[in-house]
Amino acid sequence: MSIELIGTWIAALLTLCLFSFLYKDNPFFRFAEALFAGVSLGYYIGQTANNTLKPNLVLPLVHDFRGNYDLVIPALLGLNLYTRYIPRIAWMARFSLAVYVGYYTGVNMVQKLQGEVLPQAGATMMPLLGAFPIAGTTALLVTLAATALVLGLIDSARGHLTRGAVIFVSTWIVARVVAQVAFPLAADALDNLLLFVGVIMVLIYFFFSLEHRGAVGGMSRLGIWFLMLGFGAAFGYTVMGRVSLLIGRMNFLIIDWIGGTVRAIGG
Amino acid sequence: MAKIKEGGLSTALQQLDRRWIFLLVAVGAILPILFPIGLSVTVTPPVRDLFDRIESLTPDDVVMVSFDYGPTTKPENGPMAAAVLRHCLARRVKVVVLALFPIGGGAMATEELDRVAAEFPTLRYGTDFVNLGYKDGGQASMKQMGEDIARVFPSDSRGTPLSRLPLMQKVRNYRDIKLVVSLATGIIGDWWINLINAQFGTPVAVGCTAVSAPKFYAYYDSHQMIGLLGGLKGASEYERLLLDAYPQVKPVYDNPMIFNAMRGMDVQTIIHAIIIGFIIIGNVAYFLGRSRAARV
Repeated sequence: MSIELIGTWIAALLTLCLFSFLYKDNPFFRFAEALFAGVSLGYYIGQTANNTLKPNLVLPLVHDFRGNYDLVIPALLGLNLYTRYIPRIAWMARFSLAVYVGYYTGVNMVQKLQGEVLPQAGATMMPLLGAFPIAGTTALLVTLAATALVLGLIDSARGHLTRGAVIFVSTWIVARVVAQVAFPLAADALDNLLLFVGVIMVLIYFFFSLEHRGAVGGMSRLGIWFLMLGFGAAFGYTVMGRVSLLIGRMNFLIIDWIGGTVRAIGG
Repeated sequence: MAKIKEGGLSTALQQLDRRWIFLLVAVGAILPILFPIGLSVTVTPPVRDLFDRIESLTPDDVVMVSFDYGPTTKPENGPMAAAVLRHCLARRVKVVVLALFPIGGGAMATEELDRVAAEFPTLRYGTDFVNLGYKDGGQASMKQMGEDIARVFPSDSRGTPLSRLPLMQKVRNYRDIKLVVSLATGIIGDWWINLINAQFGTPVAVGCTAVSAPKFYAYYDSHQMIGLLGGLKGASEYERLLLDAYPQVKPVYDNPMIFNAMRGMDVQTIIHAIIIGFIIIGNVAYFLGRSRAARV
């Protein structure tokens, strides 16, 4: 039996140990789980030592200390973190943590604002009526959907929260299908309208300074619908992701483990 | 049977031991692996956009492929990594591979690059492709590479100084990179978009796990990324495009010993049908039980 096949057998048995949890909790599952956590941590330490500390810190200092003496500062800051294990001087670790937190706060503030908040906000500011050759049709369809929104809100204000949301969503769907078939350019305008309405309604749902009654309640209910659609899409993708991992393991057990063993026995 | 008579079919269904569902899903996963169905794959715009972008590159251009996943999501990210690398090397586009995911990212990068590069024996390591290996530090490392990649990676995964690699003599920072493809399992894919694309303007595409795909659609729609491979489905679409454009890669995808996303989607479809079936059964059982309770 080759070394590679021995490794495959170990991996296959550990996989079966983890799958055994589906029947019920047992010591084999706990053993495999603990082993995975321990091996992962050990692997991480080894990776960091060999791929970061050695080439980026140790070797430059050993080969050319005068040219890389500035590396001593981060090295000392890193070592200083471990003073927290000595109660008498544990306070010293705060200096290193302060530098660490300060650096990543600075990086993240710019990153979030420049890379997320502004571009994402900009992407919601879409033209509701584009300068299309069929601007009239676009205007008609968008007006139809907007009217449905108003009707829905009025209905909501009268206390029919769900009915108001149903009026808007169903009218939008009809208008979108008509646009898709007959006026493709108008479909973009309707998508933009939906995006605009969705953002506003969800923001209203998270606006707690007003009681969610009447028109505000209707818009908030519509916001829940948008959120539910988002959660549904996310859940569907999550199922797909988890099933993919199952497929990977099943493929490993059938092709690599059983198939590999049969091939090894058969020569 | 006694239980069904006592509480009705709805009660029996609602109290069904979940292990029966696990068993059925397991059977649904095993059968299509043993007997592939070969369902057709339809290509979506986010996947085609990435494919077309790589198609537009020339052999002088450089693509950076970042392995931001580990063994835990290999079934999803592995096929897309192989397909993207295979596409680049088939077009003779230069490839710089690196890894930023701590638990196994470096191992994934080495495994996939070695396997795919072996299919192109005329291409040479150091000239046509390079493996920089794993580096800790996340955003700090990514930002530093915007100034000088060699400051972050003084040597490649084999310990060779970057100055001795012909390809890396031409690649100093992101200005020399035409496209970054991040194969990501977590937040590192976000960083390539909201840090590197936002601050350096480098075009970015992400091949992500299905769990995080909805989040990346927001970046794709706002044009912060040029393409998206969402989970196994995205990988299967890319494989389809690659097979149609490069028939020479067909033997790899026909090999039953090598897992690919198109075969995976056969299994995915069967299991989804089982899950949908159980959702319908569960809802029917719930509403039957409710109407029964209303009658009583």
